Amino acid sequence: MELREWALIAYSVLAQMSVGAFLILGVVHFAATRKAGMEEADRLSDRVLVAIIITLGLGMLASLFHLGSVANAPSAVTNFATSWLSREILIGVVFAVLGIVFSAMQWFKLGSFASRRVIAWITAVVGIALVYSMTQIYMLPTQPAWNNFATPITFFVTTLLLGSLAIGVALVANYAYVQKKNPDCADVQCELLRYVTRWIAVAAVVLVGIELVVIPIYVAYLVATGSAAAMASAKMMVDPYSLVFTLRLVLAFIGAGVFGVFLYQNATNPGQEKMMGYMAYGAFALVLIAEVMGRFLFYATQRGVGLM
Amino acid sequence: MSNQLAFYFDASACSGCKACMAACKDRSDLPVGVNWRKVFQYGGGGWVPDPLDPRYTLPNNIYSYAVSVACMHCENPLCADVCPASAITKQADGTVLINTDLCIGCRYCEWACPYGAPQFNEGTGQMTKCDFCVDLQAQGLNPACVDACVMRALEVGDLDELRQEHGSIDAIEPLPLANITKPALVVKPHRHSSPSGQGAGRINDPFAEEV
Repeated sequence: MELREWALIAYSVLAQMSVGAFLILGVVHFAATRKAGMEEADRLSDRVLVAIIITLGLGMLASLFHLGSVANAPSAVTNFATSWLSREILIGVVFAVLGIVFSAMQWFKLGSFASRRVIAWITAVVGIALVYSMTQIYMLPTQPAWNNFATPITFFVTTLLLGSLAIGVALVANYAYVQKKNPDCADVQCELLRYVTRWIAVAAVVLVGIELVVIPIYVAYLVATGSAAAMASAKMMVDPYSLVFTLRLVLAFIGAGVFGVFLYQNATNPGQEKMMGYMAYGAFALVLIAEVMGRFLFYATQRGVGLM
Repeated sequence: MSNQLAFYFDASACSGCKACMAACKDRSDLPVGVNWRKVFQYGGGGWVPDPLDPRYTLPNNIYSYAVSVACMHCENPLCADVCPASAITKQADGTVLINTDLCIGCRYCEWACPYGAPQFNEGTGQMTKCDFCVDLQAQGLNPACVDACVMRALEVGDLDELRQEHGSIDAIEPLPLANITKPALVVKPHRHSSPSGQGAGRINDPFAEEV
């Protein structure tokens, strides 16, 4: 694989993680507001919001390395009438701009709470549209390994799985920061952190469950369709990529499944915050590696119909 | 007249000599790895034990034929639909061309085309493909591949006229099914060729890209 292909993997994983993190953070903020009021909820999530925007920016920067002719990059949005790639780039730019505007409003407390909430909702919907447009890019009639149910399911699972575990890590890191700066508020924040982490752990276990069911069905589907190209893609999961394919499943299972259960246990009992932090970091790292491997396989096992 | 330029390929005449490939490469000065026209050797069959003496084997339905493939300048060019930069467009005469002022080199068209027509030029960082030798055709000349063919297996002409003359077959193995992009192609099948999707053979020279 060359830099160009790694650029695609980096972009697609980072962009999906950003969207997922934004959506999950929205839910977290909503729940935290109801539990402890808006000020504490903001303290929990504002710095995390900025981290999401930086992640998205890095992803979009990586996407440029995928191009052979970067100088012409502005023309990439012109064919939105028929090209999902154009649509994706446009929607991605809109998501980034809205994300930056919302983060700035939230950080500096600009505008009313209601107006910020409207912007947040619009950003969330555009984010979902971004992931949807990414799935449509690959739904080409000439690419049987991509043109099926697994592409939208796995893209959205990656979005939410990486998004929720990234939020877990970000909240743990944020808690350490808040605790150091302002020990007074640590108790409420600690309570909130444990509450949110429990739900993140539940989400991770459920999502990895979906993933571990869908991927074998997907491979079986490729074999069952019988087309030469689909069969060639399925065979590549065994040779030469059996190790990557196996590791991808095992790491996702350990990261989101096993660590997820421990994460839930640590988050249930007060006083285990340190271990909970380690679990959150471990789960995120393992799942990130697993998802990057999964995306690598997505591109590496692609075989088109005809004479490609 | 259909206002659609098209290639005619006679699989029954093609000897697989690849003169068309060489002429194309020379005319457009293509680098190694980029071949706007490719010749695929497709074949099948095998050996069975001799019923009289199983120590020996007999050839069983062994066949091989060549298919010369370039951009099909499709009536429904998926490459142009998916190109984000509007760099691939269908011209009034039906030819499908890449505008290098717009191409961003994302290689998305490569994933869309089932004929392997758009190919990446590592040197320029952009996509390239058969341009139907529009410059030669403007002078009333044939594309380089057509004139290079010693077996007269290639022709260029209006799609409707070619169909009237040679029939309307546009998909034999190993070409993809024609319903995906509606290629501007008329094929005279080889006596051993099956329609696309029904062949039991395989491409036997898959390393043609390394030329």
